Amino acid sequence: MEKEEVKKKIYALIEKSVGKKKLKSSDIQKTISAEAGVTRDEVKAALKDLVDEGALIYTYFGGSFVEIPPKQ
Amino acid sequence: MALPQRRTDIGPPHYKDFLPPVIQKNYGDWKYHEILNPGVMVHVSNKGEKIWTVRVASPRLLSTDTIREHAALAEKYCGGYIRYTTRHNVEFLVSDEKNIEPLLKDLKDKKYMVGGIGPRISNIVHTQGWVHCHSAACDASGLVKALMDEFADYFTTKSLPNKVRLAVACCTNMCGAVHCSDIALVGIHRKIPIVETDKIKNMCEVPSTIAACPTGAISPDPANKAVKIKEEKCMYCGNCFSVCPALPIADPVNDGVAIVVGGKVGSLRSDPKFSKLAIPYVPNNPPRWPEVTSAVKTILEAYIAGARKHERVGEWVERIGWESFFKATKLPFTFQHIDDFTIARETYRNSAAFKW
Amino acid sequence: MPKKYQTPLLDELEKGPFPSFVTEIKKAAAKNDMAADELGLLEKSYKTKRGYWKHGGIVGVRGYGGGVIGRYSSLAEEFPNVANFHTVRINSTSAFFYTSKFLNEMCDIWDKYGSGLTNLHGSTGDLVLLGTNTENLEPIFAEFSSRGWDLGGSGSAMRTPSCCVGPARCEWSNIDTLEINYAVTQEFQDEMHRPAFPYKFKFKTAGCAVDCIASIARADCSIIGTWKGKISVDQKEVAAYAKNGMNITEEIVNMCPSQCMSYDGKELKIDDANCVRCMHCIAKMTKALKGTGEKGATILIGSKAPFVIGATLSHVIVPFMKMEAPYDELKDLVRKMWEWWDEHGKNRERIGELIIRRGMREFLEFIGIDPIPQHVKEPRRDPFYFWTEADLQKK
Repeated sequence: MEKEEVKKKIYALIEKSVGKKKLKSSDIQKTISAEAGVTRDEVKAALKDLVDEGALIYTYFGGSFVEIPPKQ
Repeated sequence: MALPQRRTDIGPPHYKDFLPPVIQKNYGDWKYHEILNPGVMVHVSNKGEKIWTVRVASPRLLSTDTIREHAALAEKYCGGYIRYTTRHNVEFLVSDEKNIEPLLKDLKDKKYMVGGIGPRISNIVHTQGWVHCHSAACDASGLVKALMDEFADYFTTKSLPNKVRLAVACCTNMCGAVHCSDIALVGIHRKIPIVETDKIKNMCEVPSTIAACPTGAISPDPANKAVKIKEEKCMYCGNCFSVCPALPIADPVNDGVAIVVGGKVGSLRSDPKFSKLAIPYVPNNPPRWPEVTSAVKTILEAYIAGARKHERVGEWVERIGWESFFKATKLPFTFQHIDDFTIARETYRNSAAFKW
Repeated sequence: MPKKYQTPLLDELEKGPFPSFVTEIKKAAAKNDMAADELGLLEKSYKTKRGYWKHGGIVGVRGYGGGVIGRYSSLAEEFPNVANFHTVRINSTSAFFYTSKFLNEMCDIWDKYGSGLTNLHGSTGDLVLLGTNTENLEPIFAEFSSRGWDLGGSGSAMRTPSCCVGPARCEWSNIDTLEINYAVTQEFQDEMHRPAFPYKFKFKTAGCAVDCIASIARADCSIIGTWKGKISVDQKEVAAYAKNGMNITEEIVNMCPSQCMSYDGKELKIDDANCVRCMHCIAKMTKALKGTGEKGATILIGSKAPFVIGATLSHVIVPFMKMEAPYDELKDLVRKMWEWWDEHGKNRERIGELIIRRGMREFLEFIGIDPIPQHVKEPRRDPFYFWTEADLQKK
């Protein structure tokens, strides 16, 4: 699967869980690699891109999570 | 002005670039060291080369002005080389013996406290306290300052049976080695958190809040999308507040300081030990916490009077027995001293042989 | 000019011989608005006996999930310059060696972009820059990283590893603590900056069992140097210690935990097979005694402060590991442990807690280590234990 596809899947997963459950990086890696049949390293690389681009951010409060940044 | 190009994932610079030449030359080849006085030691290598260390106290919280002063002193006497210790002391690394006396004189003129090496009280490992922490039940820097003023002679001159490691943690999170120190202070709460029911929904995740409780005192309150706390189960640890800010626990009236003793991290003579409860509560009395310093003094003096040479506080107490510790210090023994947390039964006495 | 606060309570803490943190804050407050409000806010805490900081959040530098800790004052209107007052953790050097050149540069950057207040060092061993605004974070990161300095760890990630002074200035070190510390930090940069663990993970490396870095109490992975050969004895130096007033029988022989030493007033003898390498005799007679032979480290896992199940000390996993660069054996072991922790750990569960929850057997089998007596202080006391099908097949 193309990296862009994986990125879309990650973003959709996080979007879907907004307000329900905050996801940790490992939750995302486990879910997407199982769903999309890609390796954890591929998910990690796609996640890194999304965070570097600013589409997602790390948040921390009682653990570290990956979330969509709040609208300014 | 444009910012320089940022780089990621580079890690820290290599330490070799920060080692004095004499250390680079004798790296891993040291033969022995001698403590020349409470503030100066010399390490001698197999080649016969030497490096002198001059140790001074630091409050850990340092302004850039003071760090620049450290740098200037290091430049004048140490070829620019300096290190900090795990206990927040400053160490000037002197390669040229003739620089030691002028450095010591300069330090004295600038009112630095030189010492802390050998069987003494070294600097106090401590946490942020009210200076910068969300969960502090007391300050840390102020307690450290009050204690170190009281025991300054044990840093600069007087010696003890062995080193005495003090630590201060401003809450039971214990960001510091409080759980394994000779004498340590820890900030505690004594009342359950306030449940801000209407805020929980927006600020907290209910499952992780429940999971944060070590005693199972927190249960869901589904009607309000919030949680409830069972008062008789709560041990006021404050872990839930770190996960859910709508459960504030800070309480100016009831918060205070507990004093624990007898811990150590080294394996010398006996295995590493946890600190155990000596005094369950001393009131928060800033700015100088006189009740705390006086209690620590009582414990320290009993140790000095009773310990054999080389015994740490915990080794002394284990030799004489805890019943004798409470007798020697005249500290009251209370219900709070008997464990009722996760390892309780390990601490009950299973022998009829003990001292009166 | 920054605002000047009256601080009668804190002023009391400028008296006395020990260097005063209040004086430090005042030095910074004389020229910095943030430090001035920090001073005012702290005086208020001293008056009311409570803190005013809120934690957590979303601030950081782009791409990283750690190294910056969001901190906000709950009295933002009264003390606007510390409304946000974040911590920046700079990854310190191995064993905290610095040069005046770096310290001066660091101070220049921090005076420009922050409060001018620091911790040398934080409890974990970071060079802590104490307090700045959100908009300064990227400039600070650019200034430091362009000069070769990176951020430390925070959150559910590998934290900044730290080590004792080791071979740089200590005759007792059995391993190159500084190089191990550097190698581990460099190897796991991704694990440090992009939090993906159940919770924090700390490494601390000590050269010997004196453990000046408190690794056994404060690290998820404690690496403690040791040796496998004899303790060499220089009898001339032993005699010199005796001559200088040391009571060798009382202070050394009687204090040996395994009672493996004897002294007849002339010769100090050690029964090396029964020595537990506690370091007492070596530390007290450093000129006379030395560990010799094969050098390496004991790897212990799982120490932490009391939350949630009570404080734990690290316990032995690998009794002896050779420690030679590039430390592949250590790195492989660590990756294996992390894999197991990642699979089973709950949010905010440290690896040591997970081992207690799921049992040593599962952990040891996963990382491929056979059980040995060195793993425990004593065998179990209860008769309640598991048998697998494979165990039943064993004759």
